[in-house]
Formats: sequence, structure tokens, C-alpha cells
Amino acid sequence: MKKKAVSKAKWIQSIATSACVLVASVVGFQSTAMADETCMSPYMAKIVGQEDYVYVWTLGVEGMGDGQDKLVTMSVNPNADSYGKVVNVLSVGGRNEAHHSGLTDDRKYLFAGGLDSNKIFVFDVATNPAKPTLHKVITDFVEKTGGMVGPHTFYALPGRVMVTALSNNVDHGGRTGMAEYTNEGEFIAAHWNPTDEDLRGAEKVGNVADGYGYDIRALPRRNVMVTSSFTGWSNYMMDFGQMLGDPEAMKRFGNTAIVWDLHTRKPKKVFEVPGAPLEIRCAWGSQNNYCFTTTALTSKIWLIYEDEEGEWQAKDVAEIGDPSKVPLPVDISITADDQGLWVQTFLDGKTRFFDISDPFNPVQKYEHVIGEQVNMISQSWDGKRAYFTSSLLGNWDKTGEADEQYFKLFTWNGKKLSHEFTVDFYELKLGRAHQMRFGAYSLYSQKPNSDGTMLSQTK
Amino acid sequence: MISVKKNIFRFINFCLLSLVVIIFVYANNFQSSAIAANEKHFYGPGDNKQGYESIDYVTNTLDLQKRVGKQADLLEFYRNPPLGLPPAPVPAYNPLTEEKVSLGRILFFDRRLSINDTFSCAICHIPEQGFTNNEIQTAIGVEGRSGKRNAPTVYNSGYLKMMFHDGREDSLEQQVWAPFLARNEMANPSIGYVINKIKAIPDYDGLFEKAFDGRGPTMETVGMALASYQRTLNAADSPFDRWHFGKQQDAVSESVKRGFEVFTGKGQCSVCHLIHEDYALFADNQLHNTGLGYETSMGSNSTTTRVQLAPGVFADLDNKIIRSVSKAKLNDVGRYEVTENPNDRWKFLTPMLRNVALTAPYMHDGSMQSLREVMEFYNQGGVENELLSPLIKPLDLSDQEIDDVIEFLKSLTGSNIGTLVADAFAAPIGNISKDDPNWAHDNQIK
Repeated sequence: MKKKAVSKAKWIQSIATSACVLVASVVGFQSTAMADETCMSPYMAKIVGQEDYVYVWTLGVEGMGDGQDKLVTMSVNPNADSYGKVVNVLSVGGRNEAHHSGLTDDRKYLFAGGLDSNKIFVFDVATNPAKPTLHKVITDFVEKTGGMVGPHTFYALPGRVMVTALSNNVDHGGRTGMAEYTNEGEFIAAHWNPTDEDLRGAEKVGNVADGYGYDIRALPRRNVMVTSSFTGWSNYMMDFGQMLGDPEAMKRFGNTAIVWDLHTRKPKKVFEVPGAPLEIRCAWGSQNNYCFTTTALTSKIWLIYEDEEGEWQAKDVAEIGDPSKVPLPVDISITADDQGLWVQTFLDGKTRFFDISDPFNPVQKYEHVIGEQVNMISQSWDGKRAYFTSSLLGNWDKTGEADEQYFKLFTWNGKKLSHEFTVDFYELKLGRAHQMRFGAYSLYSQKPNSDGTMLSQTK
Repeated sequence: MISVKKNIFRFINFCLLSLVVIIFVYANNFQSSAIAANEKHFYGPGDNKQGYESIDYVTNTLDLQKRVGKQADLLEFYRNPPLGLPPAPVPAYNPLTEEKVSLGRILFFDRRLSINDTFSCAICHIPEQGFTNNEIQTAIGVEGRSGKRNAPTVYNSGYLKMMFHDGREDSLEQQVWAPFLARNEMANPSIGYVINKIKAIPDYDGLFEKAFDGRGPTMETVGMALASYQRTLNAADSPFDRWHFGKQQDAVSESVKRGFEVFTGKGQCSVCHLIHEDYALFADNQLHNTGLGYETSMGSNSTTTRVQLAPGVFADLDNKIIRSVSKAKLNDVGRYEVTENPNDRWKFLTPMLRNVALTAPYMHDGSMQSLREVMEFYNQGGVENELLSPLIKPLDLSDQEIDDVIEFLKSLTGSNIGTLVADAFAAPIGNISKDDPNWAHDNQIK
């Protein structure tokens, strides 16, 4: 009987694996062939051609404009009369520490989180891509997850959104986990990160199992999810300069990356990646079984990869700028052909392009100062356009004149960036520009509105 | 036949009763062993960073899912204060009752009592971190706004005659309203806002009326309930108490005994941190200028700051870079901010030393990470300034004497800490949920 059960389980497992391989192959083919938006979930619907809008999740600034967080819609199709202009502003109430946002797999909804208030705003971006509406506000993230604080990354799985957290409601430190929601914003489950006291079946590879969290990406063809680790509420909400001068606070940064079983959501390996590994970007190529992350404090590129024996490993493969000067690498973006990695360094305002054709030896090929400070980058599907925004965190951004808040478009010809336009978010009394996500009519088989504010995909 | 039936019935009854007893005993044992296994959660941050200075740092991270506790009879610590504490003072208008303590305990852990539902008292006064915060020097409030002082412990606060580092408040009942309303703490816009919010939260239905003879939430009853909970957090009966007051010779080490001699003799620590004949609070309810506040306010700026980036990895960052990401730092002139008397500049309240091993970092600004740093500061005679207290002068203590005083200070940790922390773990945390005032689960915001 037992044997039978085992063999049945094996049979199901083998069917499931084949199905996964099939799905992954299709997804892999699509992504590389179409030069898709490069940092999204492979499960997500694709845009071909020119994006029409960029949704900028923006932090309200006390005393400026209406002082609250908002979703700002930028018109970015050069064929539009409104090209380079703000076409919609949707204020949501409060300063929630607006940070990251993510689309559902069908790109119908945009989930946008508040790291401070723990609210998750679910916007409908499908009904009218030019004018998103607020579909739902999830107010009980902390209660439902059993104490997670700081909803950060929203990552699409089929019919699901994985939401990584940064902190907890007990000590506002870094121990945390991730939650799983339906596309409609219904809570499904909480998955706490492994700690020394409870590794939850994972292997502690190095010296560290801190339980911290930050970003998440998946490699479906390898049945793998990877998460990284930042810091808890007390630090990410603190004045940046004050924190740098607080030796206790500086001990409270994540030093781990975790490889998970994608399907069971169980942690498999906890790697020691010192110095706050932030964004994770996985390769798209069907044979490229690796992801990159960069460490904010120690300024290194790390490769998390599957070796020839099928074991997952983590290795530091390059330095970013001069680590002794702490340039603070923040957002990164991999090109669709897995040949290049953009790395932003916040403190010197630079974007840097690394050749990653040999993932074990990234080499910096180009750098350009985007502004006094820079954080996020979003590449277009073909890699020819790169959008940049400025804000890191409400209390970490530069102060005084250096506190530029912008949305900028550059074009990239493979050798250099050329500036197209800048929108000054302070001049428009909008606030601090942070996470960007694309919208396009082509996703929803829609035509432009009759009021003339929108336009067709081709001129 | 009837008698057989009766016997069967009796037998079944006996079996059932035995089963109940077995389950009860097992459950109790299970709970006790769970609490015992939980002991390591009670005496420091679960996110342990000991040894982080070294590249060989190894985590010993505790799991939040195992942070469970057990409710205690808190009133007992008021009725019979642990050894070493005097009878606990309670104002005549606010006698301690079980209902008030229970209500105050709920309020203390309620994150909804802040403008954006994210901040309870316990976020700065974290139970396992000595009811203070071991993880940051100075407190951070709503929206990350900076406080300029270290969150003080709540242990034994019922004995305080002055509250806050500048001594600006004189009763716990009133004190609670300062953090509720401070813009850089819980940031509530008004007293009425807090009261109305509590009235609208279903969890409080009937609790105030039960605790206060029919009176609902008011500025007064909220303060009285919170003060009542705090007055039960009396932690003593430490190894020192058992040795000094209980006359148990083997309760402390020889080093502790030597440290006590230094503390009360050559070190002159007990001039301010008083020890009475039959109890000790290790405080004088006075404010003193030790020079630390002066140095922070008036000291020269260095050009670099040593910053830790990862275990064993440091960088000397140019202060220009740090200033580029800093808001203007709030100055702190201490008691002067209450009296506006220039002679009170940089005076701060003498803290109690009970449970001091649990309450790092130290001093009013949390600028010292260890007891050794504190001892070295006093050993050098604080920092010279025109208003330096005459009680602060170089002590000429040897390394051994400093080590002994530190051992003595470590012996001041109360035996009932575990019970108090376990009780706090068992308290409900007030997270916003359905039917609460700021609930906005659909697209209607507030």
C-alpha cells in the first residue's frame, strides 16, 4: 500500500515536472524571442512594442501639494500629444511610505504597498490604462499574516501575488516572511523565513540565518524562488544619516539570500550574502539557471546559480564602484538577452552598465550620472528605453538642493544613454518618485479613448 | 443487573475523570515545558547580534513563531513587591485593580492607538529587550520621525517620582499622554482623537466601564489604566537582592561582592544610585550634568564616521556624505528644556539600575553600547564643562575594579523577568482589522 502511494506520488511528480518544463520552455521562448520587459515575472502577460504609460508609485511629502502618496500616470508613447506629461494623479490618503508595486499575472491589477502603514493599494489598470482606479485597499496585512510588517515586493505567480515583507509587529526589526494573495487581493497564506531556531527544513549553508526579507523572483523551469534581505522598520524608516551613525542599528541588516521550492513554498537553502542583498533579477535564457543580486552596503554583485551537479550556490562575482566609499547600489535591471545588467548607485547618482555575458565575471562597460541621486530603473521591452526615478526611502533621500525628485527617460543605443525628457516631481508638487510599472493598450486589445488624449500603437 | 450497570457507569466515569486529569496534567506540563523552552526569548532581542563585529559572526536567531508566553498574576508583583523593592506607591485616586491592569495591558500593546495604526507603547518598550529597545540608540516614531533620546525601561516605573530623561512629568497617569500626542512618537492629532478611536474599537467594548465603575474611555481613565499596568512591572529579587537583603551568601560571586564594594566606595556610584537599608532603587530622583549632553551639543565634528557594513566589514565614511542624507539633528539641552534655567543645561535624570544588563544601549541618548563604555566614561570623570556636577570626577578605577562593578550591575536582573516577559508575550497585539475605525478594505479610504 505504502509502495503504491509512493509510486503514485512519483507518477504525479513526474507529470507535474513535465508540465512545468513544458510551461517553462514556452515562457522562456516567449521571453527571449520578444525581448520582454526584463524584470517581471515570467508568468506575466507580455507587451509587444511601445509602452503607453508608466505608473509611478510616488511618496507624498509633508507640506507639499496634497501631502499624500499617489499613483502618477506618465504618458510615454512619443506618438501621444501628452508625451512626457503627467496624465493622471490618483491620491490614496496618508503617507504610507509608498515603495514598490507589482502587477498581477494578467496585468489587470497593480498592487502597491506602503512600507509604513502596511496598506496594499490594488489599482485597476486594465479598464482604462490612462486612468487607473483604486479597486481595493488591503488594510489587514499585519493581522492576516500573523505579524508581518512592510509589504515590499509584489510578484506574480499564476493567479497569485507573492508579497515579501520587511519587518514584524513585535520589535520592528528584520525578522519577517512573505505572504500569498489571490489576484483579487484575498489572503491565502503566510510563509515565515527560516531562522536558526526554526530553519523550516532549509539548510543553513553559511554562518547566517537571520530571517530577514526583501525581494523575490522565480525561475519556474527550475522550480525555484529566491529571496533577499534588507532591514526592519526601525532602520528603513529612520533618518539615513542618523542610522549610519548608530552602531546598533547598523548591525540590523540582512546578510542572507534564500532559495525556496517554488511549488511547495518551502525554503531549501539559506546562503550567506553579507551587506544587505536587495533586488533579485533572474536570467531569461532557457539554459541560464542563475539570478543576480547586489549588496547595498558592501557594493558587490552576487550570482546565485545552479551548479553542474544541480546544487544551488551563491558567489560574489564583482565589485560595484569603490566599495570603501559605499556608493550604495540599489535597483538593478537585467537585459532581456542576459548580456547586460544596469546597476544604480544611489549616493553618486550613477547608473552603471555591466557586461554579464560571463555571469561569473561581470565587467562594467559604461556609467552615466543620472542625477544627484538615483534609485529605480525600468527598461523597455527591447532595451532601447530606460526610465529612471529618484527616491529611495522617505527618510533616506538626500536633503536640501540634492533632493532632486524626477522621472527621466533615456534612450540606449548599446553604447551610451541619451536624455529624452525629465519630469520634475517637486515642481509639480507630486512628491518622491519611486517604483515604475508599464501599461499599454495592446495588453487589453483596447483602442485609444475618443477624447484624443490617447493614441494608437503605431503612427 | 442494575448494580452491574451502575458499576459500568462508575467505571466509565472514573475513566473519563482520569482522562480529564491526565489531559490537564499533560497540558499543564506541556505549557510549562513550552515556557521553559521559551526562556531564551525573554532576555534579549530574538535577532541576536552578539559578535557582529567579527567576520566570523554566527547567527543564533530566534523564531517569532515560537515567541509565545503565558499570562501571569501581575497584581501579585504589586501586592508583594519582589525582594529589594519597597511597597509600591499608588495614588489614592487610582487604586490598583485586576480590571485596570488587564485593560492597561491591552492598551500598551495596541498599535491602533497611533495616527496610522502602526505604533503601540510596546514598539519602543519591547518586552524581551528590557521593555526598552536594544536595537537603536534613540527612539523612532510614526513615519520614522526621530526622537533625540533613548527609550527608557518601563520596569519599576511605578517608583519614579519624575518621568522622562528631563524629569518633566510627575505621574504615570499623566505621562502616558506625552507619547500619544508627540509628533515624533505616536503622533495622534488630539486627545479627543485617541478617546474616540478607543470608543470605536470593538475590542474595548465594556472594558473601561468594567474597570472604572461605569466610566468609559476618557483622558483620565486611559491614563489610569496604562499606569496600572506599568505599576505591576516590578522586577527585582535579583541575585544581588538575595545576597544583600536576603543574606544568602552564595547568591552572588566574589566578583559581584567586590563590585558592590567599589560601587558603594571608591566608585561613589551609590551617591546617586542610592541603596537604602531595606530596599534599593539605585536612583536619587535628581538630575545631573555628567558632560555627555554637553559634549554632544558642543563637541567638535569629526570628518569621518566609522560605519559597519556587514559582519567584520567597516568603512570610514566621509561626514559630508552622511550630512547629505541627514536631516538637521535635534539638539538636546536636557532639563533646561523644561525649566529654561541656564543652570539646568545638559542635566538628565539619574536612571534606576535594576535590570540594567537588559537595557542597552545606555545613557539618555543611547550613545554607549556596553556597560564597560559607561564605566570608562565615569572613570575618566565625564566630560568637563562649566556646569559639570561636582559629583562627577575621575575615579581612578582599575580594570579589575571596573570588571567587578560590571559583574555587580549584571547581578541586578530580577528573578521574575521571565514571568513578566512571558505575560507580555501572551498579551494581544492590537493590529487594525475589520470593524476598526480606520478599516478600508474596499476602495473607500477612511
